[in-house]
Amino acid sequence: MTTAHPPGRGAVAALDRLLRGQLTSAFQVRTGETLPLKVFVPWAIALGASYGFFMGWYALTGGKDDALRHVVAVMVKLPLLFLGTLLVTFPSLYVFNAMLGSRLGFRATLRLLVATIVVNLAIAASLGPILGFFTLSTSSYGFMVLLNVALLGVAGLVSIGFLIKTLAALQFQSPEPDEMPPLMSVGDEHPRREGTGLWLFVVWIFTYGIVGAQMGWILRPFIGAPGVPFELFRLRDGSFLQGVYNAVQHML
Amino acid sequence: MSTHFSISHAPNLLHAVARPLAERRPTLNELFVCVVLLTPVFGLAMGSFDVTGDRWLYAVFAAVKMPLMIAVTWAVCLPGFFALCSVLGLRDDLRECLRAIACGQAAVAFALASLAPLLVFAYLSGVNHRWALLLSGAMFALATLIGQLVMWRRWRQLVRRAGRHRLLLAYWLVAYVFVGIQTGWMLRPFVGSPGIEPSFLRAEPFSNAYVVVAELITGTRR
Repeated sequence: MTTAHPPGRGAVAALDRLLRGQLTSAFQVRTGETLPLKVFVPWAIALGASYGFFMGWYALTGGKDDALRHVVAVMVKLPLLFLGTLLVTFPSLYVFNAMLGSRLGFRATLRLLVATIVVNLAIAASLGPILGFFTLSTSSYGFMVLLNVALLGVAGLVSIGFLIKTLAALQFQSPEPDEMPPLMSVGDEHPRREGTGLWLFVVWIFTYGIVGAQMGWILRPFIGAPGVPFELFRLRDGSFLQGVYNAVQHML
Repeated sequence: MSTHFSISHAPNLLHAVARPLAERRPTLNELFVCVVLLTPVFGLAMGSFDVTGDRWLYAVFAAVKMPLMIAVTWAVCLPGFFALCSVLGLRDDLRECLRAIACGQAAVAFALASLAPLLVFAYLSGVNHRWALLLSGAMFALATLIGQLVMWRRWRQLVRRAGRHRLLLAYWLVAYVFVGIQTGWMLRPFVGSPGIEPSFLRAEPFSNAYVVVAELITGTRR
């Protein structure tokens, strides 16, 4: 049996239940009550800042001038990267999803996607110690770029799995509003399919990835290339893919 | 089940680690003590390549560094493991997962400790430094294989319960090896190089093992 509000106290309990998939049954996602933005947006900011903290270590260990300012800037920019990308991509997803007949409301869709970002950043933050550990022993900028791409890639894949699993559960449990029982869980019998546009979410994931990569490129520097003085943003040139290619070249 | 550990428990514990026995499940405390006590044995052996003068210190340093290496690697990899375990909906199995990993680690410790006399024998037989490194590495690899086998025996039961355990295992293996190699590199030397004064860590700044390998392959290492 599921409840609209988490029984555990506080934001930590809410995060724990989200990670364990206890807040994202079909009914819970549809009502959206278990995924309040006032709890999970601060979590996205805190977890993003936490990964950003480890990311900024490279500038600290490199003895860069203004290294502390760089760390603080990265701690701000990392949550901004994820939430900013959501801001850019969410309107088109919601409109197209509604056009294709999904009954998922505006707030419910937004809350689900914020929850997905929280999962993404929670995994990234949990991998932060690995990043910090390698930062202590690595001077190669190229290696640090690739390690960050790999760790954020893993976190991204996990969150995609979370989103697809949630949407799949939603697809098999979509009763009409007047038929909806007061409480439902994923394991209920006689599931019915509904066109919630799972494939559209897959397209959105790709779009989010591309926009996110480019957003990251615009918001750089994150790691802080050696020998380059602190700057909040760099001049806009090139693209994310070109940057990864250059990092591989630089490492070799 | 008692968490008391004494040397008289060792044979029982070895069998309990090696196979999942219904009547004897090793506790996490026992497995922890096992790793802390047994890995330094191999460290002592590894560092005893040359014990002339003050070079016996290498053996002491290596004995201290072995459990330290495992502890650091665990500490760095565990947060990600915990988060992934939660996201995959496997938190109810967390204790069993940790027990399986700890059993694997204890198996490595048992295997390494059992190989220590062979390594010392090889040293006494007059192998050169290059062969000492190769032998130590080969013994490490063999012990790791044994550890994987033991861990998989337990993990197989978890996979039967939920296939997602495969993903969790994959994370652990990749992260543990990736971080473990770097930890070992940072904590070197273990065998001790001829002509270099004994020290806990190399005098040079920390470097990245993977970058060094890439530089060796591309011939750009200075």
